[in-house]
Amino acid sequence: MYQYDDIDRTFVNERVAEFRDQTRRFLAGELSEDEFRPLRLRNGLYIQTHAPMLRVAIPYGLLSTRQLRMLAHIARRYDRDYGHFSTRQNIQYNWPKLEDVPDILADLAGVEMHAMQTSGNCIRNVTSDHLAGVSADELEDPRPWCELIRQWSTLHPEFYYLPRKFKIAVTGAANDRAASAVHDIGLHLVHGPADSNDAGTMGFEVLVGGGLGRMPIIGKRIRAWLPQTELLAYLEAILRVYNRYGRRDNIHKARIKVLVKALGIDEFARQVEAEYSANRAFAPNVKPADMARLRASFMPPAYLVLPDSEPDTKSSAFLAWHRHNTRAHKVSGYRVVFVSLKKHGEAPGDMSGAQMDALADLADRHSFGEVRVTHDQNLVLADVPQHALAELHTALGALGLATPNIGTLTDMICCPGLDFCSLANAGSIDIAKQIHQQFDDFDYLYDLGEIQVKMSGCMNACGHHHVGHIGILGVDKHGEEWYQITLGGSATGEVTLGEVIGPSVPKRSVAATLARIVEVYVEHRENAEESFLQTVRRVGIAPFKERVYATNTAAA
Amino acid sequence: MRQILRQREVTPDRWRYPGEEGHGPLVHTLAELLAAAPPSLNPRDLPELGVRIGPTDELPPLQAYLPYLALIVVQFEKNGDGRGFSQAQLLRQRYGYGGELRASGAVKRDHLFLLARCGFDGFDFDATEDPSAALACLQRFSVAYQPASGLLVQPRQRV
Repeated sequence: MYQYDDIDRTFVNERVAEFRDQTRRFLAGELSEDEFRPLRLRNGLYIQTHAPMLRVAIPYGLLSTRQLRMLAHIARRYDRDYGHFSTRQNIQYNWPKLEDVPDILADLAGVEMHAMQTSGNCIRNVTSDHLAGVSADELEDPRPWCELIRQWSTLHPEFYYLPRKFKIAVTGAANDRAASAVHDIGLHLVHGPADSNDAGTMGFEVLVGGGLGRMPIIGKRIRAWLPQTELLAYLEAILRVYNRYGRRDNIHKARIKVLVKALGIDEFARQVEAEYSANRAFAPNVKPADMARLRASFMPPAYLVLPDSEPDTKSSAFLAWHRHNTRAHKVSGYRVVFVSLKKHGEAPGDMSGAQMDALADLADRHSFGEVRVTHDQNLVLADVPQHALAELHTALGALGLATPNIGTLTDMICCPGLDFCSLANAGSIDIAKQIHQQFDDFDYLYDLGEIQVKMSGCMNACGHHHVGHIGILGVDKHGEEWYQITLGGSATGEVTLGEVIGPSVPKRSVAATLARIVEVYVEHRENAEESFLQTVRRVGIAPFKERVYATNTAAA
Repeated sequence: MRQILRQREVTPDRWRYPGEEGHGPLVHTLAELLAAAPPSLNPRDLPELGVRIGPTDELPPLQAYLPYLALIVVQFEKNGDGRGFSQAQLLRQRYGYGGELRASGAVKRDHLFLLARCGFDGFDFDATEDPSAALACLQRFSVAYQPASGLLVQPRQRV
């Protein structure tokens, strides 16, 4: 993975010193809360319901075991011995003390990490495909480009005070596993058009103006193919048009999607292309030497030559885990292992310090010392030899990290909700527990196949509910927690936003409502191969709606 | 008298802002400047010319005046309004403006380094800020990842 050089090290150390000074001035009363807020936000620090919340950046979701052990140390020393992995591939600590944060940032800097730009109206931590470099459907590894964007966007002098937050996702595979179409900018590594001089040359398809929140929109294509060397110049053009003309009068209308919608994609593209052309002499180049260095940082690990082999065990527990929690690897003899953070009884995405330490040991032993965070709040050991899977399964099981539910209905995305977040209207962690209770029969879950449940405690949509096959949105009705259900959303393949099935349901009925919804699916699916999403797309929401509201008088 | 940070020194401002009485060359509003015909005389024969622009002002109309301008004041109306950063980069890079470029209004020491990176070399801070104490913030970072138009600070970059 990427290793800091002298520039990176100097920079994070100077950044820690800056925030230490800013925190001191705030605590001494020299900075008001209004003045301190944008400064602390750009260092990942929110003030939440109970305490500050610190969001640490995990650039494109990649961690070394040394870094994971530091995250465990921070959980133990400064928090309540756990952290929460988020849909931005970051980790959040819910109980740090404000005055400890400069020390936490210094500890992070010691392992080449930071919390910069994980909040605030600036370019956020860039996200990517959790299977980068190991998936057979990949055209080019996106991680060198992610690191280039991380560096370019870090303390960018011109784009540090944007109208609103700005999220970029990069993918390099045929299947989009990074939800790039619901980002402010989505970048796809693609071949040049077949009928052009660029045929066969890698470049970027550029989407702009996607996003969730109050106004969910799927990103629109602004460039079918951009030469790789032009990436930063083109990003600067988009950001400059947005920085100058994005709305700043209303926080709910300040995202780039609102500007793109107001101008129309054609006029927005015209302005971006004009800015791009006019700025050629001054825009940053993608330097070949930089890219060579970055690409060298993500070379494949030293794989052994191993044959592919089928599991030679009759253990049904292992076989279920193998089928659901591991995936094919592009190198023979290896598998990708998902570490489920969706155990019944635990808040989705949460992990204790002891689990982090133990997982770091397992990653050192079995997966070249690296761990990845997925945007659906699980972890991945990307490079596990098949002969080590049985041992790994046993070890993960002992840690409570082998729940064989990846891709099933209980592998839910879940924001922290009302329990922690000051924005939330309703709880999400309780609902996750309720769903686990309702769907505790793994054979039934497996029969249902892939169903993505995504849940947000408010319309800001941190839990991506709009793009859940089943989306759950917490709403406040006269001080009570109610939940609106959407069906048919998807962040991959044909990207769609879910459709609301009707009035929201009370808290006690959420899991029962899901049970009815999946019953309708089972009755309507053409055969065992037709997935939940395919069935919803084929039959529409009417039969689901009818079943949910026909007998559920409580939902009226 | 208003104290400003100019280059690396705290000095009394010799300019008068629009509407201010007293001595010293006058900073015009953009409307006033554009109402006058573009100067055609040799710049050395003109009085010193300054203008103040706001975050929504477009720059092309200003272009004809740039060789004659000794001061452009970019007004920051609110903490967190980033539009002036883009205006500064454009004035320094695309339009080649070489006179004083001053950030004025909601400007605090914690903005100073990035303002300087974008080409500002004059700073008229918020009334609550101490310009002498702010000066040290120009040294906050010795390295940077991006090219920019600043001359006042030139952090080390990867080459």
